[in-house]
Amino acid sequence: MRETDPGTERKCLEILRILRDSRDPMGAKHLSERMAEQGFVLSDRAVQYYLHHLDELGFTRKIGNRGRVLTNLGISESESALVGDRIGFVISKLERLAFRSTLNPVTCTGDVAYNLSFVKNEELDAVRSAFDEVVSADIGFFGTYAETENDPRIPKGHTGFITVCSITMDGIFQHNGIPVRMAYGGCLNHIHHKPEGFHQLIGYKGTTLDPLQLFLSAEMASIGRLIQSGDGVALANIRNIPSTAVIKAEEIMCELRKNDFHLPVAVGSGILNVPIDPYQSSIVIYSGMNLIGRAYECGIRMKTEIGAGTIPISRIISG
Amino acid sequence: MDPPLKFIHNQIVEYSMQVTYNPLENEGTVVYNLFLTPETEREYAIQTIRRVAAAGITVGDMVRFIEPGETVEGYTVPNGMIGICTLCSITLDGILLRRGIVTNPIGGGVIEVESNLPRRFTHMILYESTTFDPLQVMASQDLTSVNQVMRQGDGFILGNVRECHMEAENILAEVLDECADSHFSGILEVGMPNASILGVPVSPQYLGVVALGGTNPFAAMKEEGHPVTTLAIKGLMDSSLMEPISHF
Repeated sequence: MRETDPGTERKCLEILRILRDSRDPMGAKHLSERMAEQGFVLSDRAVQYYLHHLDELGFTRKIGNRGRVLTNLGISESESALVGDRIGFVISKLERLAFRSTLNPVTCTGDVAYNLSFVKNEELDAVRSAFDEVVSADIGFFGTYAETENDPRIPKGHTGFITVCSITMDGIFQHNGIPVRMAYGGCLNHIHHKPEGFHQLIGYKGTTLDPLQLFLSAEMASIGRLIQSGDGVALANIRNIPSTAVIKAEEIMCELRKNDFHLPVAVGSGILNVPIDPYQSSIVIYSGMNLIGRAYECGIRMKTEIGAGTIPISRIISG
Repeated sequence: MDPPLKFIHNQIVEYSMQVTYNPLENEGTVVYNLFLTPETEREYAIQTIRRVAAAGITVGDMVRFIEPGETVEGYTVPNGMIGICTLCSITLDGILLRRGIVTNPIGGGVIEVESNLPRRFTHMILYESTTFDPLQVMASQDLTSVNQVMRQGDGFILGNVRECHMEAENILAEVLDECADSHFSGILEVGMPNASILGVPVSPQYLGVVALGGTNPFAAMKEEGHPVTTLAIKGLMDSSLMEPISHF
């Protein structure tokens, strides 16, 4: 887009985002309702106008009278436009899933947020063994994962892997009255199987790219070496909560541990080289991305959508 | 208690205070990036840096090669590898600081180029939010197409952005003129006061300055499948130890 009016570009980008998240074509009426939910109040007619404009630019395409879909150009535009607005979007997108995570830490029932990865069927066994390695070394977020074939997002000849996304815990915290903020993704170094300190951190508020995926593709993690020798670098997330909420958070995490969640790595202020935020305590937790990271180290390239949705945890436990 | 990690904006400020480089004289201390590549890649590296410098997608044309086993600033280049030092764009913040212009380093990211003109940033990591140079990791993410930009003028390159107060506009223009004729030539775009620059917002009464990343030649090498390791913002060096790439 090359709009002179930033307001117009913002609206166009929001239309592209809504279409990207929709599995079916969408018409102007439905779109204007969705736009209103996002805080952009537009008449159906105005939406029509923007859609014509987006068609001309090649970002959207009409499917008969069923509505518009995004073209490949439109998908890439939605990932490129308005960089200033997109800084911090990585985490706002995940926070939406925190609201929808309804897991009860005591009964271990309810919905969890998940990441969806998919891989060619011939690489299935290699992925399973990479994932199992990480799970049995207790450096994932949750003690198991599930496979799926019947998700429309998975291409033919591929199998999907569902791993629990650690934003689930933010959901549990906030539903229990603990104000939690995802602060950093980082590379956590270990010596003799003990976390020794973060090598690198990226703050979620200051990036348009997912920190953990960046670390993986820059080969800054060494999950395999950590599992084999006890010395190595794993991926972890850092959240901040008010120091006065630590006791309550510990109670919740204690329940979660009984249900096969591996957490926390550490809790406190000024721990593991994390910058101090006055009156706040950091909770360090291994990321579910360590499973995907180990597979990446084994040379398996799979696509992963972080925070793909929410799903009942029973579906993951049953494999 | 463990010492907290240092975020890049602190590192940039610390380095820029030590820069004494004068672009007119081509003298003084600069900030450099260090790259490692196998010895067998030497000729290819020279050719690539030359091409990228000729296309104007580097911070400057000054380089220094470090032979295997040699030491630079306490870092020993491993056997079988050569080290390549190039100018780091933080040198610009140092040059400006010596003229009394304090800059706020904002961040590094990916710039979309269309018909040989910078169009917008498409990705950005803020310096206050990261403990390592964003351009170091972005060079390894399949996000760049430096080679394509050189061939057809369209694609994605690496760059960074800082802001300074609009009061500095006149001195800034002077310094940029001096740089234009020097071996330090990495300035890509200067914004208007109070206006976002290539899509990145600036503070009230500030204007943005975008510089090219010193990592672009190495992103180009990675794109073509050649092995190269980046140690961005490695340290300070006297510019007399570096030579224009055309001398190699």
